[in-house]
Amino acid sequence: MRMRDFPGRVADALAKQLLGWLHRRVDPESREWLDALTAESNCAAGGWQRLRWALGGVPLVWTINRRCKMDEPERGTREAPIASGVANIAAVAGWYAVIIPATYGAARFFRCQLFFGSQPGGCQEHPFTFGSIVIGGGVLGMMTAFALRARFAAYWWALFSVINTVGFVWFLSSGIVDVPRYGATQGAMFMAATFGMVLAAITRQIRQTETEGRITAQLVAGGISFVIADALIRIRDRQLVADNVNHFAVFACAMSAAILAALIARRWSRLSVTPADRRA
Amino acid sequence: MPRLPNTSPQTLRVLELLLEAPRSWHYGYALSQLTGLKSGTLYPILLRLADQGWLETRWAEAEQPGRPPRHTYRLTGKGARLARTTLAEAAPLKMNRRLAAVSGSH
Repeated sequence: MRMRDFPGRVADALAKQLLGWLHRRVDPESREWLDALTAESNCAAGGWQRLRWALGGVPLVWTINRRCKMDEPERGTREAPIASGVANIAAVAGWYAVIIPATYGAARFFRCQLFFGSQPGGCQEHPFTFGSIVIGGGVLGMMTAFALRARFAAYWWALFSVINTVGFVWFLSSGIVDVPRYGATQGAMFMAATFGMVLAAITRQIRQTETEGRITAQLVAGGISFVIADALIRIRDRQLVADNVNHFAVFACAMSAAILAALIARRWSRLSVTPADRRA
Repeated sequence: MPRLPNTSPQTLRVLELLLEAPRSWHYGYALSQLTGLKSGTLYPILLRLADQGWLETRWAEAEQPGRPPRHTYRLTGKGARLARTTLAEAAPLKMNRRLAAVSGSH
């Protein structure tokens, strides 16, 4: 009998969890309708019925939040997405317009060749100068994106900084620069960092949970990203990623990207507090 | 052509039911059972109707102790008037929809 009740109890627990989660997604001042739906869930007979009832909270919360956004003048205007798009494009393109000339300027100053790879006369003989330009440029780009409130650009420059930082450390430890033989690893690093960013950006939804939970989520995001990138690159080229150095580079990219994206998301949640939050 | 507000079949069903006893307070769960609408459809409709001033809401003490108060709804005077007009205007539309459904099934 107990066993027969078990799925119902699981559904009941899921319904409660879902309603709790939905409550955290709504501004305290706009919870009246969700409270109404929650109170009525007690009338549903059995766990499955309650879960079905609770699932209705998802479109309700979507409606409530959409209504709140439309009430906010700065977010409800048609100009808002256009301004945001322009800020993102400016933050990405504008910063490339700084990094690329700086890189070419430094190459000219040192009289080195950017595309020589590991051969003598290549710019790898000045790793700290070029590393500072690309890594520092990426970090400054991220800060500019924050100043312009351009979230996409902030993620973009975070990705750029992560890949270049890991590539730089990898070069210092192994002496290997981007030569065609290692192209697959660079691809894997890029994939791992991108997946890490995307997964961490998704997990920002749980920002209101405990700190430990959030950190675990970021570590999981990094771990999953590494596994995905590793698996994809293994399908293509088994040999290259079998090298431990490459493995560490891919893993470092995934983890750093996930952690950096989590930090951006955290900072962003502070920047984008709603007027109701501010009043509270 | 944009659809007139509050003329969706689901909203009409809710209005119809509320008009049966316009001065009584209705519970959300009972409305869902009687209209056959899921909570995710019913509550956004109620929210919109309340926003437009068609519906008044009130928190009522739960009959069973230890349970949270329940939200109840009834049509306002303006809401009842507009609901009657909307239902009357939507009657031909409803008939057309039924005919289209019948001809579509053949």
